[in-house]
Amino acid sequence: MQKAKAIELDVAVVDGVELKGSWNRMFEPRAISEYDLSVLEEITAIPGAESLGYCYQCGKCTGVCPVDTVGDYSPRKIFRRTQLGISLIDSPDLWLCTTCRNCLRVCPKEVNMIDIMPAVREQAVLEGKAPEELLTAFENTARYGNPIGESPRKRVEWTKSAGVPIPIMSQKKAPVDVLWFVECYPSYHPRGKQASAALARIFDALHIDFGILGNEEKCAGDSQRMAGEHGLFEMLAEHNIKMLSKYSFNQIVVTDPHAYNAFLHEYPKYGGEWPVQHYTQYLSEHLGDIQFTREIPYRVTFHDPCYLGRHNGEYEAPRRLLNALPGMELVEMGHCRETSYCCGGGGGGMWLDSFTRDYASERLSERRVREAVEYEAEILAVTCPYEVPRFEDAVKSTGNAGKLAVMDIAELLAYSMGLVDSLAMAN
Amino acid sequence: MAKADTVLIVGAGPAGLEAARTVSDLGKRAILVEAKAELGGTPYASYATLTPDLQETEHSMKHMLDAVQNNPAVDVRMNTRIVNSEGELGSFHVSLSRDGTETVEEVGAIVVATGFQHFDPGRETQMYGYYEYDDVITLVDAEKMFKEGKVVRPSTSQPPEKVAFIQCVGSRDRQIGNKYCSKVCCGIASKQSIEIKRMLPNSKVFIFYIDMRMYGFWEDQIYWKAQEEYKVNYIRGIVTEIIKKGDKLLVKGEDTTMGRPMEVLMDLVILSVGMEPSKGTIEMSRIFQIPREEHGFLQVVGGPLNTVSTPVPGIFVAGAAAGPKDIEDSVSMGAAAAAKAVGVLNRLTLQV
Repeated sequence: MQKAKAIELDVAVVDGVELKGSWNRMFEPRAISEYDLSVLEEITAIPGAESLGYCYQCGKCTGVCPVDTVGDYSPRKIFRRTQLGISLIDSPDLWLCTTCRNCLRVCPKEVNMIDIMPAVREQAVLEGKAPEELLTAFENTARYGNPIGESPRKRVEWTKSAGVPIPIMSQKKAPVDVLWFVECYPSYHPRGKQASAALARIFDALHIDFGILGNEEKCAGDSQRMAGEHGLFEMLAEHNIKMLSKYSFNQIVVTDPHAYNAFLHEYPKYGGEWPVQHYTQYLSEHLGDIQFTREIPYRVTFHDPCYLGRHNGEYEAPRRLLNALPGMELVEMGHCRETSYCCGGGGGGMWLDSFTRDYASERLSERRVREAVEYEAEILAVTCPYEVPRFEDAVKSTGNAGKLAVMDIAELLAYSMGLVDSLAMAN
Repeated sequence: MAKADTVLIVGAGPAGLEAARTVSDLGKRAILVEAKAELGGTPYASYATLTPDLQETEHSMKHMLDAVQNNPAVDVRMNTRIVNSEGELGSFHVSLSRDGTETVEEVGAIVVATGFQHFDPGRETQMYGYYEYDDVITLVDAEKMFKEGKVVRPSTSQPPEKVAFIQCVGSRDRQIGNKYCSKVCCGIASKQSIEIKRMLPNSKVFIFYIDMRMYGFWEDQIYWKAQEEYKVNYIRGIVTEIIKKGDKLLVKGEDTTMGRPMEVLMDLVILSVGMEPSKGTIEMSRIFQIPREEHGFLQVVGGPLNTVSTPVPGIFVAGAAAGPKDIEDSVSMGAAAAAKAVGVLNRLTLQV
């Protein structure tokens, strides 16, 4: 049952006939006449989705769900709608969750949307009910190894302009200390590539013995998994594990918290078990080797990525790096660490912006940018590849262009170490 | 003062039974008076199983009955009523009546454990049609069916597909005059919902509530268990009225978490009736001159710090005669009242 929506059109044409007159509002019937429990039974029978039935309506999730601040969605409401017989599989609600994990953090009954969402979405994907743009991202990933649809051969192109040698494992033919798993947006997105170049220069300056998979690398697939494409995720995991297994290295360092999550929790299930660190964790352990030569005389705030912070408990490493930057003033936003807001990109949100627009008053990234501006930050520091493009768009769309710059922590470090010439400040 | 060695206990429910056992354990004599022909009180007479562990009542309470029945220190008087009392602490002269024959017993102290009665849903401002519709029943009616190992619609003798519990019937209602929560009905409804789902796994069971009041361990022992393991549906919003529709019942109210009116058809409606002071409790208030507190139950002094002493020296109260109680509270109070009663008698003996 699709929820009826109020429609108000300037001109309505039904079967070729133009309807004239002023619109009255259309509502769904007010009275609930049936609790059709078959839908709840069907959803909670899906392995992974059992805990949806545990909700006792306290509403704590609604208080912290980022989506509910921009639209009519929260886990509590999802349970009630399902209990009323509204099919979650057919509902747009299914695609609004960004799997930010804030609800699970506060849920007294441990209703686990992090398990529920991928499980129910997988069912919807199998039934062909996923939004078109998400399917495009899935198809791109399957075909090209990245959700953007870029050529797999161009995955290493960014290395040419990095300004330092970046060893590719298939050519190096020798063991390395650190295998750097670069991921898609850091390989292809213009701003991602800049952050990757900065990180490469830092590795080079610290004389780290590292290598990348290059064109043998495919998307780690964690967000595709959370968006319901488990089969695709398995394919990617098996491919990446196979490629990584060809080489000798002591540990993996990832740029992307979503890849970090996959390597930490999912890849071991497929035999891919290596020590893995997010690059902020790795660099924070090498702070003693870093020589800072330039000040960053700005007010900086930090956005905790959901998959580094809430999902995996790392709040300190990025802050250790930021606090080491000379001249900089770190100011925390109200929503930080465990209570951090979501950029809207997780759980497939990165590929659902057009879809989500119909159900949200604004983008989550726009709310976050407003908060950073409210705290008078000049730089919004991030450390997830989804975030630079999302927040830079939001800076423009909220009319804050010129006030706030968005930068990866790697870019700030590289500048302060004298490895890049300028900071792309907003003004 | 030989007579001071005896404690009179009125009512042989869980509180009275435990009081009698404790008096004998402490080396005094007890006279246990019960108006009915059976020991065990309301739970024993009306409930197939106990909350929260769903054990069979007769089996669970057997050791309590045994403790007084074959006990030389406990004088059990069945089918017996209290008709008059004179005297004071240390020497009450209480008239007992059985089959029209009156006897007078001299006792040193008294424990009143005359319990509660279920709210009569015919006396109500909510329109649930208990006396009009066969398929609107109470928790007690449901227990009767459970004792026979079944749950059916009384109108058809067929198993119901959809069952609704309505909470707070007769409780928390200024118009009715019961401003208190009856404490146990949320738990009993949840317990019964589990039993219904065990007997009829394909039935749909709903509990309509204002707020679920599951004290202490009952929260996960019955409420979470009913919801998570037995798929019982808890709907926040109380039912306002029931309308007959065909051979079904149209249950009307508000689904408050959706903010929408609700009109759903049910096969069987179970009213979670609350507690009121029993006729016996009101009668004991009159005979023993024990004041009733503002909700109509027997008054205790000392608030939360003394749950069993009434304002009358030498007279104590235990169990639901003092207000809504679950069985564990009633049993605890029974032992506490007995200990205090024996205590005052011991002090009298020392003074002599």
